[in-house]
Amino acid sequence: MQTVTLVPKEQFKISIEAETITPDNFAGKSAQDIGAMIAYEGNTPRPLSELFDITVDGSADAADVKIEINGNVARVKRIGEAMSAGEIVINGDVDMRCGALMRGGSITITGYADSWVGREMRGGEITVKGNAGFYVGAGYRGEPCGMTGGKITVFGNVLDYVGEHLCGGEIIIKGNAGILPGISNKGGTIIIEGDTAMPGSEMTKGTIIVKGTVTEMMPVYQNEGTETVDGVEYTKYVGDVTVDGAGELFVK
Amino acid sequence: MSELLIKNAVVYDPINKVNGEKMDIAVKDGKIVDSIGNGADVIDAAGRLVYPGGVDAHTHIAGSKVNIGRIMRPDDSRLNNKPRTKITRPYTGYTVPNVYAMGYGYAEMGYTTAFEAAIPIMKARHTHEEFEEIPIIDKGGLTLFSSNWMVMDAIREDDLDRVAAYVAWGLEASRGWGVKIVNPGGGEAWGFGKNVAGLDDPVPNFEVTPRQIIRYLAEANEKLNLPHSIHLHCNNLGKPGNYTTTLETFDICKDIKPKRDRQAVHLTHIQFNAWGGNHWGDMESKGDVIAKYMNKNDHLTIDMGQLVFGSATTMTADGPVQYANAKLLKARWANGDVELEDASGVTPLSYHPESYIHGIMWAIGLELALLTEDPWKVLMTTDHPNGGPYVNYPDVVALLMSKKKREEAMAKIADLTFERTSIATIDRELDWYDIAIKTRAAHSKILGMVEYGKGHLGVGADADIAIYDLKPDETDATVEHEKVKAALRKAAYTIKGGEIVVKDGEITATPMGRTYWVKSTAPSDAHDRMMADLKLKFKNYYSVNFANYMVQDEYVHNPVIEECGYA
Amino acid sequence: MIIKDVICPFCGCLCDDLAVEVENNKVIDVKHACKIGAAKIRGHNRIEAPMMRESKTDEFREVSYDEAINEAAKIFVNSKRPLMYGWASGLCEMMKKGVLLAEEVGGILDNTASVCHGPSALGVQEKGIPTGTLGQFANRADVVIFWGCNPVQAHPRHMSRYSVFAKGFFTNRGRKDRKIVVVDVRKTDTAEMADEYVQVNPGEDYKLLAAFRAAVADKADVIPDTVAGVSKEKIVELAAAMKGAKYGIVYFGMGVTQTRCKYKNIDIAVSLTTDLNAYTKFSIIPMRGHYNVTGAGQVFAWETGYVNGIDMSRGAPYYNPGETCSNDMLMREELDSAFVIGGDAGAHFPAQSIAQMAKIPVIQVDPFHNPTTEMANIVIPVKVSGVELAGTAYRMDSVCLRMRKLVDVDFPSDEEVLDKILAKVKEIKGVS
Repeated sequence: MQTVTLVPKEQFKISIEAETITPDNFAGKSAQDIGAMIAYEGNTPRPLSELFDITVDGSADAADVKIEINGNVARVKRIGEAMSAGEIVINGDVDMRCGALMRGGSITITGYADSWVGREMRGGEITVKGNAGFYVGAGYRGEPCGMTGGKITVFGNVLDYVGEHLCGGEIIIKGNAGILPGISNKGGTIIIEGDTAMPGSEMTKGTIIVKGTVTEMMPVYQNEGTETVDGVEYTKYVGDVTVDGAGELFVK
Repeated sequence: MSELLIKNAVVYDPINKVNGEKMDIAVKDGKIVDSIGNGADVIDAAGRLVYPGGVDAHTHIAGSKVNIGRIMRPDDSRLNNKPRTKITRPYTGYTVPNVYAMGYGYAEMGYTTAFEAAIPIMKARHTHEEFEEIPIIDKGGLTLFSSNWMVMDAIREDDLDRVAAYVAWGLEASRGWGVKIVNPGGGEAWGFGKNVAGLDDPVPNFEVTPRQIIRYLAEANEKLNLPHSIHLHCNNLGKPGNYTTTLETFDICKDIKPKRDRQAVHLTHIQFNAWGGNHWGDMESKGDVIAKYMNKNDHLTIDMGQLVFGSATTMTADGPVQYANAKLLKARWANGDVELEDASGVTPLSYHPESYIHGIMWAIGLELALLTEDPWKVLMTTDHPNGGPYVNYPDVVALLMSKKKREEAMAKIADLTFERTSIATIDRELDWYDIAIKTRAAHSKILGMVEYGKGHLGVGADADIAIYDLKPDETDATVEHEKVKAALRKAAYTIKGGEIVVKDGEITATPMGRTYWVKSTAPSDAHDRMMADLKLKFKNYYSVNFANYMVQDEYVHNPVIEECGYA
Repeated sequence: MIIKDVICPFCGCLCDDLAVEVENNKVIDVKHACKIGAAKIRGHNRIEAPMMRESKTDEFREVSYDEAINEAAKIFVNSKRPLMYGWASGLCEMMKKGVLLAEEVGGILDNTASVCHGPSALGVQEKGIPTGTLGQFANRADVVIFWGCNPVQAHPRHMSRYSVFAKGFFTNRGRKDRKIVVVDVRKTDTAEMADEYVQVNPGEDYKLLAAFRAAVADKADVIPDTVAGVSKEKIVELAAAMKGAKYGIVYFGMGVTQTRCKYKNIDIAVSLTTDLNAYTKFSIIPMRGHYNVTGAGQVFAWETGYVNGIDMSRGAPYYNPGETCSNDMLMREELDSAFVIGGDAGAHFPAQSIAQMAKIPVIQVDPFHNPTTEMANIVIPVKVSGVELAGTAYRMDSVCLRMRKLVDVDFPSDEEVLDKILAKVKEIKGVS
């Protein structure tokens, strides 16, 4: 077991790009090694030792590394990017693109996760205890697929475009979602326990379950009557008909 | 001025019939010379492979189609990223590189000249703006004439000299090198969403046929004594069964006597036009039939249009094909019709070895090259980025040189491919001389660039030289195909105009290249007739004024102009 | 002296038939232009000399060009996240220098599209764009749809030159050969002269476009009785009219790019256009605002692979609107300087962004006083591009033209200023 604790030394204003903070990069490294790794504050490279107080306990492979970040990293981006194993716990808010391209392991965020958390996720698990921003578990501009595997759970509310271009994996939103969840999705499952608007536009395959209220439906879904999923009765819609979609939209 | 001596080079220079001779090459003031003094810089090639700098006669590197490809594809621009260095600007993009990566990428492979395959006259200024930003390589472009109202009206009135006068004017307006024909007539039909079905299908509202368009432009090309022949993308591209149209098209220029020592017609990316069968289900290769024709006829040359598995961005003036592709694949589709002139379409897609259709396409390109006996008749191209990005040329070369590599590739390709093509039965392996022909010598000859010192290493040629980290005498290309590919991918040295621009695959200098274009003249009465028609079209139909239309000198900083014509 | 075939440097129409009378090196008359184009060419009170002030509440003091440029360079060198915004009123030649400077200082390159048609680019990235040159539409289109745009006001000569009144090869009766449809939240001046006006509920264009797609695909049975305030009947009728066109064209503007769903409106409008191509010929085109905003997108794309919101801080470009555009960053207070050239952030940015700009050093390069000047620390006046400086611009349909120089003035060009700033930056950094 290896535990790495990072405490931010200051309240960052200009975002720090810290894709270097992953269990894969920290595995088997000392505090000094980690301190020498470079993050970017805008155009300026800064060693992690300048940005965080770093303590390291033990040494292990990535799968047995736990990184704990205690403090405000609301302006630290790309934490956990492309990580393949291990655990990151962020006790606070975190900036954009946390866990982007993640392949395995887990990330837990106790506060707010800014936009694009879990972008293009392939595997692993992300849990956001607070709210999250736009494009949760979405793709990059122009890519046919965003998230292809893994699981994202947000306990709070999220903004627009959750699961945009979803191709696989699971996204659970306990609170409300903004507009157009699951837009252009081709697979995977999105469960929204709160309210949302215009779900499943251009969905070709996949499943969206809304337990709260759908304030606006897209005018492109075929009503197929009622169906029970996990003991709950929903109205089932199939569509998006304009893309010959076979997506399933369950609305309570 | 600067002198360079390359010692112990194992040279393949087919234009000068040099076939793997060990020799020294002397360079002075950017040209190959007989000999130089003792003060020269010396590169010891140490028995390594030395070729003239690569010449690419058909590639989409600059202009509105390429740029809409970039705009549409941040998913492509995010690939192949290299941050700036002291010498290089940032690189972005794999199928649609930014202008810097475009030039650096070619130079890294030992290429020093590339020709843009299609310039729409109305958007030519854009092409030249991009040319002026692409580092290192020399460039030229081929101007589209094939669905042009001026051309079609003159043909309908059987006024060949007026066609020639417009071609002359259009080349100057676009600062182009040669005449490009794409799906002749179809570009106009596409203006209302239609296409032409075959060579004798009249273009709606214009009453001329594709056959006539090709014929008149070919004859005008010769009257004007242009350095290159017409450059033709056949009708019915991408449709199973299209090979019959292709063979018919091949015959059109059979009796044309070129004014210069070259082909009467160059037909491009023939892989896409060598399909048998009637539909996707029974599609098969007719590469062997095409090759048979090539073996019996000398008036034409072709290029492969080889498929490379992976991501591609298709871009062509063949508007209907692009729409069809996009619809079939549910892909993004950018269409860009140009008033009075032509169509265009850009569609990103991927080629997969699991698809037998793609397998057949992959096989056909290789069949064309391997079954045509004379290596001068078939250029190696991928119709970048339609068949695949140019950075994969070394892979294609390795396939042509090694049956073993082909077999390794075939093991991953859908089985049905081998029932529908003859690729598995082909044993021929091209050698270094053949490859030199297919990647530089023939490109230069076909374009008419030999007298401009391209594609060869004779005295007086441009000192555009590629040294690859591979000793031909110690390498069995039929077996060591990985080594071949790696060596060609990153040149040991690329020398452009006598200056070292690449060392060990890294850019060392970024001089700007030249732009080659043709200024030709037709008889003055024909010119006057043409101008009267042109001015009328500007007055009534064009959305820009005549005075603002032609490409100005400010857009071509380093021109080399060929002058020709007739009275 | 009358200079003919002058190209107007105001809006995306790039009208190139202007005639400008110049006497004693002054513009005295402008013919054929619309009022706004003519006003731009005639010019108005300009900034006469470079000026600087420490605090934005101080009065400006006049300084030399060298002093202003040196100070600007210092600000760049000391910035970790400099914004470089605007570009669209300049020419392509200077934009290339801007990219070079952005690479050197590791800054953010953004243009006016990010408050205008940036969403259109995002839509194109999802779906592509079936389009063409304006003459293509003038010559062929018999069904013309203006969606969320008002050319009577914003592109005054568009309708006579290209979209409504122009007589073309296949449309030689001009207006009579066309059916004009306007879709908008209110009855605009353009709607007043249309054959049909469709009122859409604010923020609901997306659903209406989806319903059109269903109707075009003969799947109208899933469409509810009303969508976005438009009856199902009307939707089905208009879908049929679109399918029955010989050539349809959709012109669109801020009514769809800057309202709810933003780029998804464009995304779905492109999809609808593509769907229609299965039945007939249909194209779509954004009504670009600044005369050379299209050029800014083109230049940035060929230089960096991306059209706007380009973050150069890591050495290779990174693009992600929502993260890397001007307002994304200003609203998060994460820029430490702003360089505004050929654009007017002060006029077009939201209040929160302006409040942030008030807290950081702002350098303005512009011929004219505008709201950005109010929050600037350094102001560097330059030639008016397209009037006092020749160079390249791209029309809304990406046709590229060369703007003329009409008069001579004793100001540097914006390109020269950029060259000097870059040279000074390199000098300060000690690089060659």
